[in-house]
Amino acid sequence: MFLGTKICGFLGAITASAIVIAQASEAQAEALTVTDIAGRQVTFAELPEKIVLGEGRMMYSIAPLTTGNPFEKIVGWKDDLVLYDPDAFRKFEAAFPADTARLINFGNPYAGDFSIEAVLEADTDLVLLDVGNLFKAEETGLVEKLGAAGVNVAFVDFRRNATENTVPSLLLMGRILGEEKRAAEFIDFYIAQMRKVTNVVDGIPAEDRPLVAIENAAGWQNDFCCWSFGPYNFGRFVELAGGVNYASTLANAYSVDISLEGLLEADPDHLIGTGANWIESRPEVSSILLGYEGDPAVNAEKLQALAARTGFAELRAVKEGNMHSIYHQFYNSPYHFIAVQQIAKWLYPDDFEDLDVDANFKELHDRFLPFEASGQFWATLE
Amino acid sequence: MVEQTIFPGAEAAELVKAYKQRHLRRIGLVIGAAMVLSCLVVLDVITGPANLSFARTFQVILDPSIASPKEQVIIWKLRLPVALMAVTVGAMLGVAGAEMQTILNNPLADPFTLGLSSAASFGAALAIVLGWSVVPGVGGLFVTANAFALAMITSCLLFLFTRLRGVTPEAMILVGIAMLFTFNALLAFLQYGASELQLAQLIFWQLGSLARASWGKVGVCFAVLAVVLPYFMSRSWALTALRMGEEKAAALGVNVSLLRMSVLAGVSLLSAVAVSFVGAVAFVGLVGPHIARMIVGEDQRGFLPLSALCGALIMSGTSIASKAITPGIVYPIGMITSLIGIPFFILLILGQRKRHWQ
Repeated sequence: MFLGTKICGFLGAITASAIVIAQASEAQAEALTVTDIAGRQVTFAELPEKIVLGEGRMMYSIAPLTTGNPFEKIVGWKDDLVLYDPDAFRKFEAAFPADTARLINFGNPYAGDFSIEAVLEADTDLVLLDVGNLFKAEETGLVEKLGAAGVNVAFVDFRRNATENTVPSLLLMGRILGEEKRAAEFIDFYIAQMRKVTNVVDGIPAEDRPLVAIENAAGWQNDFCCWSFGPYNFGRFVELAGGVNYASTLANAYSVDISLEGLLEADPDHLIGTGANWIESRPEVSSILLGYEGDPAVNAEKLQALAARTGFAELRAVKEGNMHSIYHQFYNSPYHFIAVQQIAKWLYPDDFEDLDVDANFKELHDRFLPFEASGQFWATLE
Repeated sequence: MVEQTIFPGAEAAELVKAYKQRHLRRIGLVIGAAMVLSCLVVLDVITGPANLSFARTFQVILDPSIASPKEQVIIWKLRLPVALMAVTVGAMLGVAGAEMQTILNNPLADPFTLGLSSAASFGAALAIVLGWSVVPGVGGLFVTANAFALAMITSCLLFLFTRLRGVTPEAMILVGIAMLFTFNALLAFLQYGASELQLAQLIFWQLGSLARASWGKVGVCFAVLAVVLPYFMSRSWALTALRMGEEKAAALGVNVSLLRMSVLAGVSLLSAVAVSFVGAVAFVGLVGPHIARMIVGEDQRGFLPLSALCGALIMSGTSIASKAITPGIVYPIGMITSLIGIPFFILLILGQRKRHWQ
C-alpha cells in the first residue's frame, strides 16, 4: 500500500514533468503572433529576452506588468524618464540601482531616431516604440532595417488615444513579456478603477456637465497662455470625468493653442493645469512640481503664482477655488485612471464623496509597483 | 541747352509743376495708407472671441475707470498691446526690408537675408532647449533677450567681415548666407535634442505670434522706430541716389560705404527687435517694400514711409485674420502673413506695365 502510493506519486511526478516538457516544447515550436497598436502583425519565434524601449516612460506600464525585476528584459531606453520625470526615475533607481546604471541610453525619444548599430550591438530582440513615431520609423526605414536584421518592432500607445489604447497596449506587452496572468490582473484593476468614474458619470445629463479648461504644462512658458488638449489625452480624461472640455469645443485636434481672451470669455467652471518636476532640467519654468517628490507647501505657492498671471485673477475658476493642477505624466501612462478619478472628484465632489483617490493610488503601488507611493500628484489653489 | 538752364522756359515750369504734383501725390498716398491703417487698427481692437460692442470698447479706451475688471484685462492688457505691436513690428519689418533691398541693390533681400532670423531662432532655441541665457539677469524674458543678442552679434560679425572684404553687396550677401547656414545647422542640432514641449515651444516661436505682446515691448518698438526712422528719412536723398547706381551716388558726394554700414546698423536693430518679440515673421519685410515701390516708386521720401505703412497694414490684417479663423484659438502669424499680402501683391504685379525694379 505504502509502496503503491509511492509508485503512484512517482508516476504522477513523471507524468506531470512530461506534460510540462511537452507544453514547453509546444510553446517553443509555436511562434507567438501579436497585433500591435499600429495594426501590424508581429511574429516572435520565441519570447524576446532583450528589449529596447522607445521611451523611458514605458517603464510606467512595464513595472506593473512584471512580477519580479521590471528591468530584467530591458537592455536600453531613451532618456525622457530621467530628464522629465526625475522623481519617478529616482524611485526606479533606488529599487534597482544596478539596472538603471546598466541600461543603454539611446537619447531623445522625440528625435524619433535610433542608432540601428547600437540596437544590434546589444543583441536586441524587440524595440518597443510609441505609435506617435510610426510615421518616422517607417519613413526612415527603421522598421524595415531592424526587421531585416531579425529585430522585431512593436508599437504601443498610452498617449495619442490613451483611454482607447491602454488595454490593448497592456495586453500586447503582457504577452510579449510572458506575463499574461499579471497583465490580466493589472488590466482588471485598471478597468475597475476607470468604471468607478464612468459608471457614475454616465447618468449625468449633458446640460449639467461643467466646462473645464485644460492648460497643458502650465508655467512652462512664462509669456504665453495656453497650450491645451482637444478631445484627446487630458481632454478625453475630462470628458470621461463628466466635464465638457473647452478646447474640444474649438477644434478636433490633439493639441490646441487657446487664446487668453477666449478663455476669459468662456470663463470655465474649472481650470486644470498639468505639471511635473521640470525644474531640474529647466530652472526657469514656473510649473507645479508634481510627482513622487512633490512638496505640497512649495506647490501651493507655485499655484498662487500661476493664478496671479495677467488676466487669470478674473477667471471664475480662480475666484471660486476651482483652479487645479495635476501630474503631467498621467498623459503618457496607464495610471491615467487616477487623473480621471481626481478630475471627477473636483467636478462632482458630492457624487464622488466616497471615492478615495489617495487609497486607489496607494493600492496601485502596493499591488503592482516595486516602490511605495509618495509625494504629491494633484493640488488645488487655496 | 545752356540757354534753358540759365533762363527757365515753359518746359522747366512744366517740370516744376509735374514735380509738385508728384510730391502731392506721394503725400496723398502716404496719408491714404495711414488712414486705412487706422481703420484696420480699430477693427483689430474691436474683434476678438469676447463679445464686446464697438461703442463699449471705445468707452473703455477713453475712460478705463468704467471698465469691469474683465473688460479692463481684455482691452487694455490683451487687445491694445497686440494691435499696436502688429503696427510697430509691421512698420519695423517694412522699413528694414526696404532699406535692405536698397543697400544690397537686390529685390530679393529682406530683413532676414543676412541670417538675422536664423541667428535669432538659434538664440531662442538656446534658451528653450538648453536653458542658456546669453544676457545675464533678464529673468523670464531670456528667450527674447537671447534672440536679440544673437541677432545683434551676427550683425556685428557681418560688419567685421565686410570691413575686411570691402563693403560691397556681394560680400555682405555671401557672408550673410554663410551665417544663415551656420545658424540653421546649429538650430537643427538643438531641435534634434529637444523634448516634445520644447519642440512645440520652439516651433511656435519660429512661426511667430503676437500673443506675447505687452506694453513694455510696444514701448521698445516705438522707441526703436522713433530713432531709426528719422535717421533713414534724413538720409533719404542719399539712399535714392544709391538706387541710381553706386558710381552715380558716389559722384553726387555720397560716401557709399559709410551709408551702407550705418543703414545696415539701423536695419539690424529694427529686425533684431522685431524678430525677438514676435518671432521670425517672413514675407512682410520682403513684400511690404515691393508693394510700396509699385505704388509710389523709388523716391525714398515716399517709398520709406509707405514701406513702413505697408508692413504695418499686412501685420494688422494678419492680427485680425488670426483671430477670425477660429475664435479662441491662437494661430501662429507666420503662416497667415503671406496669405494676407499675396492677393494684393499679385494684383499689383498684374497691373504693372513697366518693370518696377531697375
